[in-house]
Amino acid sequence: MNAILYLYRHTFRNRLRKAIRKPVTYVYLAIIILYLFMIPFSFKTMFSEFHMDNPEGMAAVLTAFAFWIIPANLVAYAKRKGLLFRKSDTHFLFTAPISPKKVLLYAHVKNLFVNLFLNLAVALCGAYIFGVTWWQMILYFLFSVIVENLLESGIMLLCYGNQRLGEKGRALVVKAAYGLVGILVLIAAVGYAKEGLSWDFVLGYLHSDAVQMVPVIGWYTAVIHLLFTGPTVVNVIGSVLYLVLLAAVLLGALRMKCTGEYYEDAMKFADDYEEVLVNRRQGRSDVRLGKKKHFGRAAVSYRGSGAKAIFYRQLLEYKKNRFFFFDMTTLFCLGGSIFIAWLYHSEGGFGDLTDFMIPMIMAYVVFIFTTLSGKWGVELKSPYTFLIPDTAFNKLWYATAIQHIQAIVNGTLLALPAGIVMGQSPLTIGLSILMFVMLNACKLYILAVAEIAVGNVLGQVGKQMFQLFLMGIGISVAVIGGILGMMVGGLNLAYIMITVLLAGETAIFMTIASLCFYRMETVEG
Amino acid sequence: MLEVLGVSKKYGKLLAVDNVSFQVPDGTVGILLGPNGAGKSTVIKSIAGLVRYDGNIRIQGKDARDMEARRIFAYVPEIPNMYEALTVSEHLEFMERAYGVTVTQQERELLLSRFELLDKQDKLGNELSKGMMQKVSICCALIIKPQVILLDEPMVGLDPAAIKELKQVVLELKAQGVTVLISTHMLDMVKELWDVTFVMNKGHILGSYTREDVGNEDLEELFFSVTEAKRPEAEGGVE
Repeated sequence: MNAILYLYRHTFRNRLRKAIRKPVTYVYLAIIILYLFMIPFSFKTMFSEFHMDNPEGMAAVLTAFAFWIIPANLVAYAKRKGLLFRKSDTHFLFTAPISPKKVLLYAHVKNLFVNLFLNLAVALCGAYIFGVTWWQMILYFLFSVIVENLLESGIMLLCYGNQRLGEKGRALVVKAAYGLVGILVLIAAVGYAKEGLSWDFVLGYLHSDAVQMVPVIGWYTAVIHLLFTGPTVVNVIGSVLYLVLLAAVLLGALRMKCTGEYYEDAMKFADDYEEVLVNRRQGRSDVRLGKKKHFGRAAVSYRGSGAKAIFYRQLLEYKKNRFFFFDMTTLFCLGGSIFIAWLYHSEGGFGDLTDFMIPMIMAYVVFIFTTLSGKWGVELKSPYTFLIPDTAFNKLWYATAIQHIQAIVNGTLLALPAGIVMGQSPLTIGLSILMFVMLNACKLYILAVAEIAVGNVLGQVGKQMFQLFLMGIGISVAVIGGILGMMVGGLNLAYIMITVLLAGETAIFMTIASLCFYRMETVEG
Repeated sequence: MLEVLGVSKKYGKLLAVDNVSFQVPDGTVGILLGPNGAGKSTVIKSIAGLVRYDGNIRIQGKDARDMEARRIFAYVPEIPNMYEALTVSEHLEFMERAYGVTVTQQERELLLSRFELLDKQDKLGNELSKGMMQKVSICCALIIKPQVILLDEPMVGLDPAAIKELKQVVLELKAQGVTVLISTHMLDMVKELWDVTFVMNKGHILGSYTREDVGNEDLEELFFSVTEAKRPEAEGGVE
């Protein structure tokens, strides 16, 4: 344990030292503190509106969380996916003469600091929002930090590391976890059939004796109810069963055989996790943990030379994709458009905002997906992009051309169904689509600008903040233009103003990006 | 001594290693050769205890999974992966604590200076170049004073001075009676080091040869003569 404690202590200390030296840490800290002050105030109002600002409310909230967290943890541990191992652990820890059980505990303890912090926040919120007495909150804090962590560690060891359990045994644990959720759903369904859906029914369900009798999840909620709502026969029995479970789990974890057979799965997890991290850093969100991307067979015939090759290569890659270039944004656009149309139909309009609802949604979609850059982000990091013998402008254009086409499709899906239902003219719908294309183009070229301007100075998060900042400015300028257009010449002029301004911004960002691209090309070369 | 006894490993339905056996005695440098996809990495990962396998692997007569065996076994992986928030010297201290070895400051500094890392002691893992990471990885393996050491492509990314130093280190380990197993494609780099070589292909050991067996034959010639020959003939000829 000496080596693991050393590793934990020194990693934490060095990270802290490094963070203290970075100005961005203080920005994050300010945001966290602001949130910590804002959340309890807003939650207090919300919970008092629902008459939940009392200890019973606290028990109900913690019970609802338990329904989600406990089965999720069980499933994750049984699938050997719930612990965060890195490649450095594979290199140094897995091969060292350290008990594989301790290695598991090390991975679990990595989250201890966050765990302590969250439990402290819950305890403080409990006292402030739910009016729970201080001794109850202290008791809850100690229970969650000591007893809950002990039980979770024991379950983690038994599910993740126990070699006697085997693959079939672990699959059974997964089924059992889903079974427990099934029982909870069944209890809810029976209650719903008797009483119908109401807020009182939901609260009654969360406090019900039947729920507290469900193994593991229910026994935990029994302890919570014993602590916050006082003793009943059921919650006392449930609490005793919880403690018996704890003792059995700890005994089983101590006795189980574990010689590190899980290292193979943990190593694969570490590889997958680092792959996801690398892809996220490049702005790609389509790579999912442990899911290998499958590609079909496809072909393209290259026409022309130079930077055009980038376009055809991207086209080939998209053709090999199962859904071509349609992704989550496409679904989001279509879903958004249908939602706007339905809302317009059922509400009879959006008041003063009706004419600008579609551009507003478009700006929102582009803004929240600003940092996701798809193939373009990868292109920017690839040395081959810079080595192709062509002008920087051509490379910039051909490397982003497919994404402009993608934007036309997505923009049409977003503007057309909603526009037709809302009775917009073809000109308005067309301008809306053009707006979406321009917004997307701005987004793409802003990435290149941010990469050059602050990529090496601020790091990944700082760069993304800078992208959002530039995008925010771009949208704000277009909005001001739209307001002026509306005041001077009405709706059509407002749309034209927004589109023209966005086109101007696109041209500016593209020029800066191409200049930077050229500079980067020179530097890299 | 390192003994690999009837080791097999399947990835799903794919049999990556099929009943592989070989041994490297004390004070001997063994070389594991084979084309890409031969199963070398799987054998190495099995010895290091990173994958499940059927069969037995023994380190100085003890099961490779035993803590006692792990305590005397060092591993240098093909791609080094440092703890990004630990410095070079903290990596070494972690190894000393994990393996329960006592190393004097003088010994530690000597080791670091051999690989030109003395002035890099306070650099964090994520501040090191790939070559430097490889040097740290080698130092971490050597600091535990192993009786059996496994080096997977140890020369990749190293500068000529470090390669020269590593070769010297391997010869010193051999003189001290340490068992050394090196997996590499850089045959020229190990031509003066090896005592026994194992040639693998398609999950099988095609042949094991001692330096005495092959006389003046070059490792590269030996490798091609074995891997390009038909497997059954090769097996019949060498086992």
